[in-house]
Amino acid sequence: MFIQIWLLPFALLAAATVIAFPLSRYMAWIMDGKYRPLPVIGWFEKRLDSGPQNWKQYAGSLLLFNTVLFIFGYLVLALQPFMPLNPDGKTILAPSTIFNSVVSFMTNTNIQHYSGDQHLSNFSQIFFCISNMFMSAAIGLCSLAAIIRALRSDTSLGNFFLDMWRVLIYMFVPAAFVFATIFISQGSPMTFQSAYQVSTLEPAAMGTTDKGEVKRQNIVVGPVAALESIKMLGTNGGGFYGMNSAHPFENPTAVSNFFNTLAMMIFPFALVLMYGRMLVRMRHALVIFSVMLALMAGTVVWNVYFDTLKPNPGLTAHAARTIDMPGAKASDMETKLIFPAVAGLPVDQHLGNLEGKEMRFGTSAGATFDALTTDVTCGAVNAEEDSLNPIAALSPMAGMWLNAIFGGKGVGMINMLMFVIIGIFIAGMMVGRTPEYLGKKIEAREVKLAAITVLVHPFMILGFTAIFAMTHWGINAVSNPGAHGFSQILYQFSSASANNGSAFDGLGVTYGFYNNPTPAPEAVAWDIATGLVMAFSRFLPIIAPIAMAAFLGEKKTSPAGLGTLRDDDATFGMFLLATILIIGALLFLPAAALGPIAEHFGPFPFGG
Amino acid sequence: MLRYLSKSILLLVFAVAICCVIYPLALWAVGQLFFPSQSNGSLLLGSDGRPVGSRLIAQPFTKDEYFQPRPSAASYDASASASSSLAASNYALRDRVARSLGPIVNYRSGPKVGQPVAPDIELWFRKDVFQGAPHIVAQWAELHNSLAQAWVTGDTAHAAYVDNWAKRHPEEVARFMKDNPKISQPKASDLAVIFFRSFSAAAPGKFPSGVTRTGKDGKIRTMIEPVSAGPDVQSIFFDMWRQDHADADLQDIPGDLVTTSASGLDPHITLQNAEFQLDRVALKWAANLKRNPAEVRDEIERLLQKNVSAPFGGLAGEKIINVLEVNLELRNRYGAP
Repeated sequence: MFIQIWLLPFALLAAATVIAFPLSRYMAWIMDGKYRPLPVIGWFEKRLDSGPQNWKQYAGSLLLFNTVLFIFGYLVLALQPFMPLNPDGKTILAPSTIFNSVVSFMTNTNIQHYSGDQHLSNFSQIFFCISNMFMSAAIGLCSLAAIIRALRSDTSLGNFFLDMWRVLIYMFVPAAFVFATIFISQGSPMTFQSAYQVSTLEPAAMGTTDKGEVKRQNIVVGPVAALESIKMLGTNGGGFYGMNSAHPFENPTAVSNFFNTLAMMIFPFALVLMYGRMLVRMRHALVIFSVMLALMAGTVVWNVYFDTLKPNPGLTAHAARTIDMPGAKASDMETKLIFPAVAGLPVDQHLGNLEGKEMRFGTSAGATFDALTTDVTCGAVNAEEDSLNPIAALSPMAGMWLNAIFGGKGVGMINMLMFVIIGIFIAGMMVGRTPEYLGKKIEAREVKLAAITVLVHPFMILGFTAIFAMTHWGINAVSNPGAHGFSQILYQFSSASANNGSAFDGLGVTYGFYNNPTPAPEAVAWDIATGLVMAFSRFLPIIAPIAMAAFLGEKKTSPAGLGTLRDDDATFGMFLLATILIIGALLFLPAAALGPIAEHFGPFPFGG
Repeated sequence: MLRYLSKSILLLVFAVAICCVIYPLALWAVGQLFFPSQSNGSLLLGSDGRPVGSRLIAQPFTKDEYFQPRPSAASYDASASASSSLAASNYALRDRVARSLGPIVNYRSGPKVGQPVAPDIELWFRKDVFQGAPHIVAQWAELHNSLAQAWVTGDTAHAAYVDNWAKRHPEEVARFMKDNPKISQPKASDLAVIFFRSFSAAAPGKFPSGVTRTGKDGKIRTMIEPVSAGPDVQSIFFDMWRQDHADADLQDIPGDLVTTSASGLDPHITLQNAEFQLDRVALKWAANLKRNPAEVRDEIERLLQKNVSAPFGGLAGEKIINVLEVNLELRNRYGAP
């Protein structure tokens, strides 16, 4: 039992760490342009390269390309009925949902307010989802490369278009091809067909249609493997099907699940080391890497401990209890609430909480995946987050709140850089010395930009959660009572702001096709609000750090002396860890107390 | 800026050509060439050579001759995967699990060891006392308003039954409207709780349930009638019976038998779950085939062992069975039930 539970998470962390070392060397080699392209590829590179760019030009190109990507994505979705590969005649999504989806995929969030299997044709899956999954991930990676070049005081930040090309051609396309082949071998479909209708073994059990005919099972297939691999490698999330990586076609076996999970970890792991290699500060990068790894191990252990090793508390026995709420005396409410004892249901829960878990992946695979997916801001799930044990769900939420436990493509490392700057600033204040990073003085302008980057995240999450929890936008959308309903709202905005994409799926956010007679009542409000959150929380934390890095890079490097705060030893690691945890707790603990923590302390069941 | 715009468009064109045309086509070629079955959805063929499903996608089974998969929040619709999204604290989860337990739970010890609890639930239900107070159905509706409403809205026949009751009890409806001035035209679901209160008083120890009868004209009809036994009573009231009998020692049911999977399409159950169902399956086939039950049980047991697998050879999880493959083999071996 011990091995069955702990071997898988350990193997995943170890494998990703081992792969990160050679991969980061390769990535630094590519991003530094030390390779010699094949003549054909070189021709394309010459066409794209518009010459060295300063930070404003680089950031401007990035925003401009995103604008082009937005228009392209909007057109593909809006023209779905007129495009090929659509034998079922899927029509147009609601306009607000198109807006939400286009922003979502462009920002590497991939929150889905639609269901891929129901609402998208194969054409849209390929030309909207797959294209965005490649490009949004590459954009994040490029922005990190630009920041590194700025920090090491290069004459230019490189060229955005050339960087994009390098990331796509030399990293993502080959890696996606290898992983997709593994997924096909395990059972992921790779076809341009759309669906099979089959008569099941026991046809009557399928139920009957309105016309009284026996229903047939409608098995949706498509180019699943092609989407699956880049979805995980690009830490995009979402999926071909509504329940994405839990769906047997996206994730057919325990082996595919291992590679699914590994795929979302390798690039975020390697990027931290790439940062060290390109700056020639490997020890510093290793300290950051260790801090992230410790935090990641913490979230995984937390989730496995509370979800796999504990039963679902909704089914177990609970003693009678009296909850005293001093000061809560309202007209119709006593200060003491009395809950009678609850007898347990006779269910064998030695495998942990099985609600919303698949059986084929392994005992702890669901909890492990769900913790990792928010650490690296992937957002695909192989188990339902909404049905995790209440206190276990704190782990995926913390992953999104901190948003720097390896994090998404490039942006995770950028967020961590902001924590580093703030940490060094605090340390500098404590010893009364001008703080320096990489030998450059950190002054008011840099700290302001770092603070803005760190604060935009809680501002988006807590502000919008508060608004929605108070209004019918939130109240009519939640599907679970009490504290868990609040968690659903909190989770959705955390996911949007962290550009994660996972969700407590019970939340009613799906409008569906534009002519859907019964959309979720508040779907439009959710589409627009989360769309705005995703856009702000994506681009502010990319542009501000690029500017900050450029300002730092322009400064003179002062030689390290005896009094310099070292950034490559264990002391610094502990200090960084403490900075992250304290800032994270100060920002999000009150909200956590209202959501998962309140739910954990019961009573069970709640309402009914 | 115009230069960057043209470069942006050029990048988009190149990237789309590679990522959306060359990459999927190359993968498609690899898949169709080297993994044709997997690439096309791992279809399983019946004895007539037509596909009966995908080995990766669960199908519903209700007959006792078949092993049953995990319950599905997606109704086994392979074009609309879904999880239940029920939180642990949500009573709807506990209720759903309790309903599937009631008809299948046995005593683990005591004088009735090995016997089902279902008859005792019906006996207790007929006495119509819960926690020392009369009228179980009325208490159920008051404790769980949303379940009472769900009963009304879940079936048009139920709603019609309540509407019919409302016509015969205008005084109750009038009182409801007086107590709830905000609701001007109460729907059947609004009246659910007072309907059950009134029903419970008029028919103590009974619950409105669908009963199938053959009419005088030979047609089969399903009518809603007050009943004091049957699957509705055994399932809906199991949790309340349990609260009245907290000390009863019951046999634990495998967790995966009563929980929904994340996709709603999980084709696997644990071997433990299959072994739990084995007696039922074997007895039914033995009766159908008029063969020795022990012999059939051995055969099916061997079939299970042949189909067993485990994540990473058991290093990452317990043994599991693919329900669809086993059931397909059962049908191929013993004929369609």
